[in-house]
Amino acid sequence: MTTPAPRAQLAAVAWLRWRMFANSLRSTRGKMEVVSRVIMTIFFGGAGFGGTMGCAFGAWYFVSQGKPEMLALVFWAVFLFWQLFPVMSTAFTNNPDSGDLLRFPLGYRAYFLIRLAYGSFDPATALGCLWLTGTLVGIAAASPLLLLWALPVVLLFAAFNLLFLQMVFAWLERWLAQRRTREIMGVLFILVMLSIQLVGPAVQHFERQPATQKTLDLVVSAQAFLPPGLAAGAIALVAKGQFALGASSFLLLGGIAALMGSLLHLRLRAQYRGENLNEAASAGVKKEAHGLRLGWSLPGFSQIVAAVFEKEVRYLLRSGAMLLSLIVPLFMLVVFRLGPARSMWHTHFMRAPDVAFPAAAAYSLLALTNIVYNSFGGDAGGIQFFFASPARFRQIVLAKNLMHAAIVLAHATLAWLLITVLYGRPSFDVTLATLAGLLFAAPLNFTAGNLLSLYSPKRVDVSTIGRQRASQVTVLLSLVVELVIVVVGVAVFMLAHLYNNFWIATLLFLVLACLSLSVYSVVLKRADTIAIERREALVSELCRA
Amino acid sequence: MNSAPTISTRGLTRRFGELLAVDSVNLQVAPGQFFGFLGPNGAGKSTTIKMLTGLLAPSSGQIEILGLDLNTDPVNVKRQIGVVPEGMALFGRLTGSEFLNFAGRMYGLDRTTAAQRAAELLDFMQLADQPKKLVTDYSHGMQKKLAMAAAVIHGPKVLFLDEPFEGVDAIAAGTLKSMLQGMIARGATIFLTSHVLEIVERLCSHVAIIHHGRLVAQGSLEELRAGVEAQALAAGAGPSGDGASRESESAEKLTLEEIFLRIVGGSRQEQELSWLG
Repeated sequence: MTTPAPRAQLAAVAWLRWRMFANSLRSTRGKMEVVSRVIMTIFFGGAGFGGTMGCAFGAWYFVSQGKPEMLALVFWAVFLFWQLFPVMSTAFTNNPDSGDLLRFPLGYRAYFLIRLAYGSFDPATALGCLWLTGTLVGIAAASPLLLLWALPVVLLFAAFNLLFLQMVFAWLERWLAQRRTREIMGVLFILVMLSIQLVGPAVQHFERQPATQKTLDLVVSAQAFLPPGLAAGAIALVAKGQFALGASSFLLLGGIAALMGSLLHLRLRAQYRGENLNEAASAGVKKEAHGLRLGWSLPGFSQIVAAVFEKEVRYLLRSGAMLLSLIVPLFMLVVFRLGPARSMWHTHFMRAPDVAFPAAAAYSLLALTNIVYNSFGGDAGGIQFFFASPARFRQIVLAKNLMHAAIVLAHATLAWLLITVLYGRPSFDVTLATLAGLLFAAPLNFTAGNLLSLYSPKRVDVSTIGRQRASQVTVLLSLVVELVIVVVGVAVFMLAHLYNNFWIATLLFLVLACLSLSVYSVVLKRADTIAIERREALVSELCRA
Repeated sequence: MNSAPTISTRGLTRRFGELLAVDSVNLQVAPGQFFGFLGPNGAGKSTTIKMLTGLLAPSSGQIEILGLDLNTDPVNVKRQIGVVPEGMALFGRLTGSEFLNFAGRMYGLDRTTAAQRAAELLDFMQLADQPKKLVTDYSHGMQKKLAMAAAVIHGPKVLFLDEPFEGVDAIAAGTLKSMLQGMIARGATIFLTSHVLEIVERLCSHVAIIHHGRLVAQGSLEELRAGVEAQALAAGAGPSGDGASRESESAEKLTLEEIFLRIVGGSRQEQELSWLG
């Protein structure tokens, strides 16, 4: 038997991906996914075009003005987007598992390349490449000769970004594969994300103080040794005739890219050699005493509702990523407090706390999207249990919504307290109007979420990162529903502000709440029928290996 | 004694597009039977058990469990049955104890009873020594035992098991078998599918065989054996198809595997793959 050529294997994988796509079109859901993807592609295309134009203009401006070192701003923007977008917006990220290919006689080189090729289909990578192309166009327009040198630099910078992103994903997956490291990672991830949110306000806060100018200078100098700064430096130094220094920046950037490649190689090599991160295999048997533990009871609700509610809360508490998405809205209040927003709102529009509380409440609903709009995604094979048990689906859905409502209530309470401490106490009428607004928005959100959870489920794997957590259809429709809720909410508040009477908002929201609660109730009653109709699609999607 | 069947299907049919997966199956399982449902891969076993447990809608036909129509009264039926489906239906991010507690309450047990039975079942299944371990971190065999425990926590009158011994080691299989035999002794009815014919032969009193979606045999092991032997005799040959060995073979009983192969026609001429080392 001959050894398979890597090129033939890459072609086979490309064919496999094509057949998977073509076969997915056989189902209605697959077709809807494609339509949603096309809409998303148009959206991203717009962002890509806008970004490309922005980068081209920026690059042209900096080079033509004789300030090529300022290209660092463009490279930093591309770098931050390329690396942060896939982590923050997993719904848009498509990073399939290449590990399944390991059972084939795949050479390590081919495996490495396939992993990189999979990563290249990511929207962030596509947009990053577009923006860098724009940057090159801008440089070429300002100084055609410089393009000859800028081209390899930008290509190297793109390679660095691709390797860095894949390296981060590969190592995150390694740490997420085991529960203990997963928990540590969860905490670290929260801290990193929160720190990133603080960078902007902190810079704005400190830049007004002359004493910190030295620190800023230090930061600017330090960034010159990081990849975006090195890429800008390599171009700028050559543009100024300092060829040796420019070449050293280029080499240093190449070194860092090689280092990222080596780190990725370490991880992929271990995967390729068949490492087993299964906790069941490695966990030692440790005898632990345990007493009789009663399940939770939920006054006013049946055993079934209480049992599902308890299960939902336990699931939530064991998912770092979901908890993170719930903490972010509260943290944003701190971020805005540090920024210039407070004085602006206070002067020109309304009291800061009276803007912050409704905004925080709206953001809380947005943060729940992943949980509400794919509420069976985390249950995976457990969906069969729901169908086999004597529970009615309306009870299961109600229990899930009760947990969502508890989160909204907890968020609103914490946000109100935080705003009171940071911004001042929101006025009574705005507080009441906001709560009435939640009474309208939450049931509407839950109704849409329940329908999409049943009609467009997607299995969620908590041990992976960079894989979609909801279907494209869900992502698109949830955006539409939430946009409608935000527009209605803003319109009601604007009207109340116009008449300088927030009781109008409370009244309007209560009327709308009656409507949304009625719709919620109708859909909840139909949950059993819908679940039975969608039984096969739910089981086949959520139980797939 | 109540002679009404515990499980009864009439004209049970399921189509997947053009494919007729289950074709007019008429099953009768009497109370207290340990019933083995056999068939080659793709014959329609899992599709049938999914329809019997409400996990899949039939295209046509009727299902009655304990005299109740599954289609019109699914909640009352589900209250009295236990199920271990193909995918085991577990919630991976609960501990074993939490999952059993949850399962008990979903089947209507009060909190105290659910907690007590959960603890007893964990002990019985030898899963009690790692109470903080999440189900997702269990080995396959442990998950099978847990799924079985969840299926029986409410003391079902009928138990449906899809390949319960697949991927289970001999020790765990022994635990499961002793539990199932105990249930039969107390009057429960068990319906299981399995590829392991030795286990079915040892455990089951009655067997049905499905082939290409059609029920091709149904009855006690003795009835099936007698049927196969009678067919062979009518064809003018011994049970093994060889007239000369008639006397010696009738002294030895046909195994379930032999009965199965006769019925589903497993003696086809195998194609030779000359390139296979």
